[in-house]
Amino acid sequence: MNLAREILLVDDNPADIDLTHDALSRSRFPTHIRAVQDGVEALALLQRSGKYSDASVPDLVILDLNLPRKDGRAVLREVKSNPSLRRMPVIIFSTSRAGRDIGHSYELGANSYISKPGNLQDYISVIMSIGDFWFGCAQLPPQEEP
Amino acid sequence: MTHAASHPRAESTRCPREQPAAVPAERVSLRVLLVEDNSADAELVLRELRRGGFEVSRSIVQTPEQFRNSLWRERPDVILADYNLGQWRGIEVLNILREEHLEIPLILVSGAVGDVTAVECIKQGATDYVLKDSLTRLPTSVRRALKEKELSHERREAQKELARKVEELAQSNRDLEQFAYVASHDLQEPLRMVAAYTQLLAERYGGKLDKQADKYIQYAVEGATRMQTLIQDLLAFSRAGREGVAAGPTNCNGVVESALKNLEAAIKDSGAVVNYGGLPTVAANPGQLQHVFQNLIANAIKFHGAEPPVIDISVDRDGEGWLFSVSDNGIGIAPEHAQDVFVVFQRLHTREEYPGNGIGLAICKRIIERHGGHIWVESQEGAGATFKFTIPAAAAEPAASAAALTLTAAAGAR
Repeated sequence: MNLAREILLVDDNPADIDLTHDALSRSRFPTHIRAVQDGVEALALLQRSGKYSDASVPDLVILDLNLPRKDGRAVLREVKSNPSLRRMPVIIFSTSRAGRDIGHSYELGANSYISKPGNLQDYISVIMSIGDFWFGCAQLPPQEEP
Repeated sequence: MTHAASHPRAESTRCPREQPAAVPAERVSLRVLLVEDNSADAELVLRELRRGGFEVSRSIVQTPEQFRNSLWRERPDVILADYNLGQWRGIEVLNILREEHLEIPLILVSGAVGDVTAVECIKQGATDYVLKDSLTRLPTSVRRALKEKELSHERREAQKELARKVEELAQSNRDLEQFAYVASHDLQEPLRMVAAYTQLLAERYGGKLDKQADKYIQYAVEGATRMQTLIQDLLAFSRAGREGVAAGPTNCNGVVESALKNLEAAIKDSGAVVNYGGLPTVAANPGQLQHVFQNLIANAIKFHGAEPPVIDISVDRDGEGWLFSVSDNGIGIAPEHAQDVFVVFQRLHTREEYPGNGIGLAICKRIIERHGGHIWVESQEGAGATFKFTIPAAAAEPAASAAALTLTAAAGAR
């Protein structure tokens, strides 16, 4: 049984990807992170198409909003309107604090919206909270039969 | 219609006798539209104008229709009209001019009428009224009318120019504000990277490289984190100017409570005591007002003296508005610096002595002034400080809520 939780991280900023890696490594929950940098890749992976046909299904998606090619809003909409994907917990993790972005994300079905903190300590603490909540507190949706 | 055929050059009892205007060496060309149904009278007028030094090109009309057509065809410099035109009155020319949106001076030329009528005509918009037995006045009157028109045109042009310049300046200000806001906003991202990674470096390599490296990394971290607070303060300063005030009835007790909640840690660490109560409901933006109270209280805590900070918040009426006082027992401010503390980036201490960017009070000043109030400080060095600010009464409150405001204010006043 694979105990490590699978996280799909979608962020076009490699520095933030590393930061999230670092933060998650401090969590008591072992995690395996897959990172992609745009929305097209993210959907391809989730739909297990093309080069991602063998990819494991993530337990959690941490999704930035402003991405090249296809932005996080479009990814969120497509995931949450797809019957085979919409159960997947999707956390929006974005620098945007705009009320419009927050409201719209929840409207589209985001499981929660978190603004990227400006300072390092808070950033680490927030990422670890995400791990603690989703892997230590909440129940994840059971994996569907293929 | 009086015939002025025998036209005595009598001195009018009303006007001082005027010599015919000295004919200037150069004749001034003048396009005249004459509204007159008596050709003899018309000739007299034209003759007088020529005597007065004008090179006259003229058009003579009798009916309103002819007048209207002539206006556009001839583009006259001045209109001379007889007051009595049989079916209509010369003064009605003014209505036609208004309809056509033309501003051409009108001088009524007519036989004797009462003073009242003459004054009435001028009140209605005629430039002047010349009697047919004082026609020698006419050239001077025409000159004056033309001069007035020129001056009024110049004044209008100057006003337009001024308005244009003012709008240009306003636009320039808006552009600068926008730039400052966008720049501060966009700087946050790369800054976040620098701050986070310098701290990670400190964490990962602190003590593992040499002492010099530790020092360098520490300076980098301090610089980055200071830049972050600076950008946040700049954004707050910018927002204090950008956002509309959106004032509503704001209960100051609630506002102070929220501010104190945000300062919980600082209050606990310093053992500060904050006294307040019975504060009124005022017309203000609650978020911005909270920012002001929070900043003043935070300063009072930060700049404390040997004793734990004691802060008193009180209020007095100020005409229709309110005068708030936030006083403390801290290190105080020398009177010669009382103005400086409100200037952006102005600080009175080094960063080693007290942290801060020097923007907090500048933001408070901006907020208070946008609410129509004033903020200042009364203090002596070593003897605490009292920051005072006024919040005027709301400009135009609907009757119901104004009554509610007064009631709450009366109930809350000490």
